[in-house]
Amino acid sequence: MVDEPVGSSDADYAGHDRAFAVSPTQRGGAAILSVRGDVDALTAPELTQAIVAALDKGPSTVIVDLSDVAFLASAGMSVLVEAQERVSASAKLLVVADGSATSRPIKMVGIDKIVSLYPTLADALDACGEA
Amino acid sequence: MKDEVQHPEALARVSDRADFVRPDIVADAMSAARTRVEFGGWLRSHFTLGDDRYNDLLLAVYEALANAAEYAYVDAPRPGTVGVTAAYAEDSDTLVVTVVDRGSWRTPLGDRPANLRGRGIPLMHALADEATIEGTPTGTEVRLAWFALTNHLP
Repeated sequence: MVDEPVGSSDADYAGHDRAFAVSPTQRGGAAILSVRGDVDALTAPELTQAIVAALDKGPSTVIVDLSDVAFLASAGMSVLVEAQERVSASAKLLVVADGSATSRPIKMVGIDKIVSLYPTLADALDACGEA
Repeated sequence: MKDEVQHPEALARVSDRADFVRPDIVADAMSAARTRVEFGGWLRSHFTLGDDRYNDLLLAVYEALANAAEYAYVDAPRPGTVGVTAAYAEDSDTLVVTVVDRGSWRTPLGDRPANLRGRGIPLMHALADEATIEGTPTGTEVRLAWFALTNHLP
């Protein structure tokens, strides 16, 4: 089942052609949040909202898929760390990221030691037994 | 409104010396994002960089802007401005970006949990070849430098 995408920072500023959106889907007990666009101080709160909404449904696992994210700022990384703390009692958090704009800065500040990082969604689904 | 301070049409032109200059950006999240997009466009039009190098530059400069937006004018009635200058020296293949505000940064750790805040500064240090953050009597100056800019291709 695919819900309506959360967030719609469509072309809010000149030259910004990568609209931010989070699309939630469900795979077994795993809630998958597919994130698109730039995650920065402006859009990070929308990602938090999407994670909170996903957790309300009581999934065993939340997968934040950053495969289509072109820019990830520290504000977005803080959301991931905050989400890890939020879910740790009730669910697992898995983050999918690979590349210069996402997994590279995540590893630079050691967030890969706080959240479970996977290069592809298939790897993350494998890891939580929903492949 | 923001537009009273910003004159993108007057400033968007890149000089012959290939400098990127935005002296009066409103210190808020929207302007930081817009400036990031413009800076990215400037980088792409003037240099051929590898993906890592390009993203490192874009993120470091954005973090400096975002920090100014978040911390420089915390106690001010309305956001002040922040200035960005990126200057490339061809002989040394060095790019120096300075981000200057006229406020005073509240300590990044502030009153919030240390693991949620203050990642911008460690990021800037990790992303730039050299990063200095200096409090001056009139504000804060972030200086980010990249050496062998165009020879960094993987």
